[in-house]
Amino acid sequence: MIGSWIMLIYQELYGVRYVLRTLDVDFAVHIARTQSQLRADLKQLITDLGFTDYLVAEGVQKFTGGGYEVEFIGQRSGGRNKGFLSVPEWNVTAIPLPFINILMDFPAVAELDGFTIRFPIPEAYFLHKLIIARKRPSGAKRGKDLEQCIAIMQVINDEQLRQVAKAHRFGKDTRRRIAASCDAIGFPLHRIGLS
Amino acid sequence: MKVAEKDIVVHGMLEDEYGRCREVVEALLAKAENYPRGALNVRRKRNKGKEYAYHYLVRRDGKKIINRHVSEKELPELQKLIEEREKCRKEIRAYRKRMAYLGKLLNKPNPGGGRHESAAR
Repeated sequence: MIGSWIMLIYQELYGVRYVLRTLDVDFAVHIARTQSQLRADLKQLITDLGFTDYLVAEGVQKFTGGGYEVEFIGQRSGGRNKGFLSVPEWNVTAIPLPFINILMDFPAVAELDGFTIRFPIPEAYFLHKLIIARKRPSGAKRGKDLEQCIAIMQVINDEQLRQVAKAHRFGKDTRRRIAASCDAIGFPLHRIGLS
Repeated sequence: MKVAEKDIVVHGMLEDEYGRCREVVEALLAKAENYPRGALNVRRKRNKGKEYAYHYLVRRDGKKIINRHVSEKELPELQKLIEEREKCRKEIRAYRKRMAYLGKLLNKPNPGGGRHESAAR
């Protein structure tokens, strides 16, 4: 699981509290080019739970049930602006977005309310938010990203954070974005190890 | 009267949610249009001590009521499609209800007057 719903997990596990979120629940999927065999029919599994599937303009498949919306997101490689990513092994399509691998490369697993949930560690989520906050055209969304960073800041482990940052090669623009976001929330850049 | 200052993040999130609901409603309406119209009806007839059930798809076309016979063979598929259509409509109603609530908070026009309204009834 990725997206703002993670904050609810962080609240359970670390006592981090941030309540603002829309009712869309995002899941990240690995796009394995070599694997085209069906591993599990997610479309069937989700619709069997009572969700309705539908297509949005770009050809992306989403699911809705009880007012909640489920969508899948995959790593957008390079600068290609593709409408959607096909994920045949799970029988779903995903929205391609950059920097999703930061969230997927450092996962944690928790058992909550009888569900096993895989989610990014707070340090990965924090770094991801620092980057995307500066890419947002909407000031409100940027504000929400940074507010989440402020909420997570208290549980950040510097060593883990450096490991997450070290595992990815960031360009000049991305480093600039991280620095600007750190500046906005008063987080010392040297704690990320990217000074 | 003391008026609270607008919180850009909270307001933006409500706007996002309103926009998201509108997009889902549009997508679901488009999907609902592809499902068969009408309701399934059963007519039972007795003949020589035996009871026979005949299924019909009843729908309205302007002032006319149209009954289309549904064969036993096509019945399960049609029932499934109608079930899915109803699920779709239920979702649309839930989203519209939320849009009405958010619309009031955001001073938006009433979303109930959409061009596809009949599809969600």
